[in-house]
Amino acid sequence: MVLTRSPPETLLASLSSKEIRFAIGLSLKTSVASTILCLLVAVPAAYSLARYDFPGKNVANTLIDMPLALPPLVAGVGLLLFFGTSLPGRQLADAGLVFVFTPLGIVIAQFFVNVPFMLRVMRSTFEGISPRYEHVAKTLGCTDGQALWRVTLPMASNGLVAGSVITWSKGIGEFGAVLMMAGATRMRTETLPTSLFLNMSCGKLDEAISVATILILISVVCLYVFERRVGGLRL
Amino acid sequence: MLRMEKVSKNLGDFVLKDVSLEVGDGEYLVIIGPTGSGKTILMETVAGIYAPEEGRIFLDGRDITREAPRNRRVCMVYQDYMLFPHLSVEENIAFGLKSRKVSAGEIEVKVAEVSELLGISHLRPRRPGTLSGGEKQRVAIARAIVMEPSVMLLDEPLSSLDGLTRERLRRELKRIHQAYRTTIIHVTHNFEEVFSLADRVAVMNRGEIVQVGTPEEIFRRPKCEMIANFVGVENIFRGFASKSRGMTEIVVDGLKIVAAAEGGGGAEGNDGDRSDEINGWEGREVFASVRPEEILISKVPLKSSARNSFSGRVEEIANGGMMVKVWVDVGIPFMTMLTRLGYEEMDLKVGDPVYLTFKATAVHVF
Repeated sequence: MVLTRSPPETLLASLSSKEIRFAIGLSLKTSVASTILCLLVAVPAAYSLARYDFPGKNVANTLIDMPLALPPLVAGVGLLLFFGTSLPGRQLADAGLVFVFTPLGIVIAQFFVNVPFMLRVMRSTFEGISPRYEHVAKTLGCTDGQALWRVTLPMASNGLVAGSVITWSKGIGEFGAVLMMAGATRMRTETLPTSLFLNMSCGKLDEAISVATILILISVVCLYVFERRVGGLRL
Repeated sequence: MLRMEKVSKNLGDFVLKDVSLEVGDGEYLVIIGPTGSGKTILMETVAGIYAPEEGRIFLDGRDITREAPRNRRVCMVYQDYMLFPHLSVEENIAFGLKSRKVSAGEIEVKVAEVSELLGISHLRPRRPGTLSGGEKQRVAIARAIVMEPSVMLLDEPLSSLDGLTRERLRRELKRIHQAYRTTIIHVTHNFEEVFSLADRVAVMNRGEIVQVGTPEEIFRRPKCEMIANFVGVENIFRGFASKSRGMTEIVVDGLKIVAAAEGGGGAEGNDGDRSDEINGWEGREVFASVRPEEILISKVPLKSSARNSFSGRVEEIANGGMMVKVWVDVGIPFMTMLTRLGYEEMDLKVGDPVYLTFKATAVHVF
């Protein structure tokens, strides 16, 4: 329906418009940044959850899973309140890290909504790798860190790729939390979904549809990669 | 020499309680015990995966209780191989040498040597996922032995292999042990492995070592009911094998037992294991066992095609309900079983002269 609405020439024309190109660029930058952030946080956290027992592990697991059930819009409001009105938020802003209504806010919004997904993928990936591989590696001269680096992480590569891809594609498509946190300012915080929303609401159907087409293509490709990599993972 | 002094460790489901154990240089110690008796955790504590809560561990006079696994010179082989799937066979074997920063040239020489020893040279470029169980375990053993460890720990290394492969690899282990004179601790459920490999046996139950001794001591004189039930094997004899008219003859304390020439794994396997040079038991010291229910007991000599027939006296009768166990001394002690009806019809008493008969195929040699 979406794909057949406009002829390809119109799509290509609107793709080359300055606004759409800005949206593509911003979306790519913010989603890559938030994915990297997710990886940096989720991999060590998931590893600890999968390998170690500690007091409060169940609580930690629940806390991590909670945002999964939370509407992104609500998460966005929470983030906005935190960064906009709370003391730590204002201190960050004073230190030059302004999150509210900036591209930085987009990254943070994507990160908070997506990190539970990354964590879940990585947790089940690590849980699926017997700790005995690391035991063997350690008797073969590895430190704990080397065992992780030379054995567990390479063995987790499927999960890493799959988790990154799903996080990235969800990041690119994130709208609710981003809207709350960064607003919808044309040519400033205009990501692809925001652009779709803005163009749609002012009746520029061709632009809106070309953006939708890009988003559809991205999700199809990501789904394909994801399925190829983690067909058998329990999530 | 490895010495454990009153080592305790509690992992919830698995525990070690006050384990003291000494393993001499070049000794082959086999640990047996029921599932959950703490065998694996004992091994992992020796390897340094877990630090004991109490007690100390010494290796060659050095206290290694708090030493990191990588500095212990202890290598471990698990039942399920634990080959690194993202590395080739060659890279798996070289893994430890690489951590030790051995030069590339030396790694190449050592990997080639150990691959040759285990007959896996042709597998070197392959990935573990493409190998059979026997091949995988050879690679896992190669990966450990190439480190020239002071102690090699084998946790049920043969348990997931099929019969023929298992037997081959068992002999291979014996050969490796003789070639490297490495101290080996081997956990198993299989009593054949105990007899063919062990210098000494340790029996574990509920986290404790309940008996240590030679295989014969353990099987002949189990210290407690648990061991007797667990080892549960009667009629095991050590003897010398020779060839006689196409059959294998085993001389046990002067008594000749004839076994069908099963040849001990001469048949070709199709899992890529290399063929064995050893084609029979002849000229070697072997163990033979006969299951009690395979032995016929009678008051007069039986005329049958069975190759083994001995005369002796009833030593002991244990009336256990459905089945009656009868011990007969024919120079060596045999245990046989009778049904209640059969026992009553024969009217056996201790001291009665009887004849024992069993087929050559009933004799199991290992």
